[in-house]
Amino acid sequence: MVLKNKPLGFKLSTAWLSLCVLMATLGWMLPLPKWNSSDADALGVTMFSKGHILGTDNWGIDQLSAMIHGTRISLGIAVVSVVLGAFLGAFLGVMAGYTRGWIDAIISMYFNVTLAFPTLVLLLALVAIFASPDPFNPGTTLPRMVVLTFAITFVLIPFLGRLARAATVSWAGRDFVLVAKSLGLKRRTILMQHIVPNVLPSLISLSFLAAGYIIILEGGLSILGAGGEPGSSWGSLLARNRGDIDLTPHTTFIPVVAIALTVMAFNYFGEYLRTSIDNRDSRI
Amino acid sequence: MNVVRKIGQLILVLFFITFGVTLLMRLLPGDAAGTLFPYGTPEELDQVRALLGTDKNVFAYYFDWLWNFLHGDLGYYFAATFGDTVKVTSMLAQTAPRTLLIMVYTMTFSIFVSVPLGVFLGYKSGSRTDKVISNSLFTISSVPNFASGLFLSYFVAMTLNLVNPTGYVPLTENVGEHFKSVVLPVVSLSISLIAGFTRLLRSDVISTLREDFVTMASSKGLSNRWILFRHVLRPSSLTLLTIAAINIGALIGGAVIIETIFGLNGVGMFLVSSIAGRQYLAVQSLVALTAIVFVTANVLVDLLYSVLDPRVRVQHGAKK
Repeated sequence: MVLKNKPLGFKLSTAWLSLCVLMATLGWMLPLPKWNSSDADALGVTMFSKGHILGTDNWGIDQLSAMIHGTRISLGIAVVSVVLGAFLGAFLGVMAGYTRGWIDAIISMYFNVTLAFPTLVLLLALVAIFASPDPFNPGTTLPRMVVLTFAITFVLIPFLGRLARAATVSWAGRDFVLVAKSLGLKRRTILMQHIVPNVLPSLISLSFLAAGYIIILEGGLSILGAGGEPGSSWGSLLARNRGDIDLTPHTTFIPVVAIALTVMAFNYFGEYLRTSIDNRDSRI
Repeated sequence: MNVVRKIGQLILVLFFITFGVTLLMRLLPGDAAGTLFPYGTPEELDQVRALLGTDKNVFAYYFDWLWNFLHGDLGYYFAATFGDTVKVTSMLAQTAPRTLLIMVYTMTFSIFVSVPLGVFLGYKSGSRTDKVISNSLFTISSVPNFASGLFLSYFVAMTLNLVNPTGYVPLTENVGEHFKSVVLPVVSLSISLIAGFTRLLRSDVISTLREDFVTMASSKGLSNRWILFRHVLRPSSLTLLTIAAINIGALIGGAVIIETIFGLNGVGMFLVSSIAGRQYLAVQSLVALTAIVFVTANVLVDLLYSVLDPRVRVQHGAKK
């Protein structure tokens, strides 16, 4: 087994994330009520009741089903924006770090301006501006989830790109890059074969941390009323159920625990990768 | 020279942020005045447009706003009926002290807990206690602050009835009640900060303990406590300061959420309602203020470096 000699945290994180991926991909096959349909005979029942393992909220919505549907949306947002953000961030960061000059100045300005502002507030403004319906032209608004994903990607690019830029600057000064240049290799070859493979490991480890951060951001935005459709993701499920915390506390804490566990798992992987990269560096 | 360049960059960044907000809001389709007052009379709407500045082009609007902002006029916050419109400054006078107090309490509390804890763990590194505490701190640092906020509000405030789950009591009104109203928000904001600070301080202390001057101090026969707090903590405080400055952004974002959960009516909630209600001027001014606080904190830390670390000071003076 791959997991045999790994620490306990690694095994737990793998187990939880695998479960999440299973829920997100195959969860719809389970014989459960729909995530947004209510059962009038079971309003606000507690956890482990008959027919509703995680109980229901005050509208009788099955919480297991809602939570499984939420996994798909929350992880979906995280994966799509991390992949987009890492790709674009790496591209911009490597370009800026390798070419320097005015390209670097423009890209760094974008990074600095975006990073000079609290992420959550910036996201809130972006979502409110792009997703708020225009009262005179209803129907012209983009779907909330699309806006949310692109807004998150927009603030993620500088987060990951800054690292890519810094790593590129330091690797581009190494002797083997100078040798490659003096051998007359094409810039494209140097970038793809000498710079990118060295930048990638730390970028991937930061991407894991970023994925956890996105899950938190999605929860925070939902609490502030800028999340997705009510009850569709972990964050919006938490935001909707929060009002009934005194009556059905379990409906608030299920998404909270899911968010916390996922963030822990992502952070663990990020940290694990970072320390293994450090070890590799120190061996060289 | 370095300071001048830093401040130049800072002003450029602030310009891009505020102008970016202007562009974003002006690019929106629809009429802001009409959104704010769907049932306003045409005369009232004209008046609102004049107050908002949307009757002017983007550049005139921006520089008008900037001129007013620099003269302390932060614009208007429009209430549901036109007559109730208030100035942003008077809203801020009510909300800002709450947020600032909460942030000061949070930073103070976090540093008071994490400095002794970090030094202790660094000193005991590798021991069983260190391993257990360090691993739990790593786990705690991943808990989002709204999660700890909701847990605390449910268990401490609602189940045990020790404090009120929502609401804020000003310091001037009743000191005891004031602290009771802020303890949960402060603790929920502090938890992840403490975990982060302690972890950083611990690794810093471990590396400082390997330095020659520590060996020197201990061979002089100085006590462990003296060495730890006089010789080891001072260089480590640089790291702590940097990470505290970096966390101001996260703290502002966290405060927005925690204020909402605990119903504190601070700047965070003010900003959220302004963004949701398309209060152009309020959003513009609040965004500018937040950015100024955030960027200035980072520059101040850079300058404080030279005060705390004599090595930086010498390098500047000697022009190596």
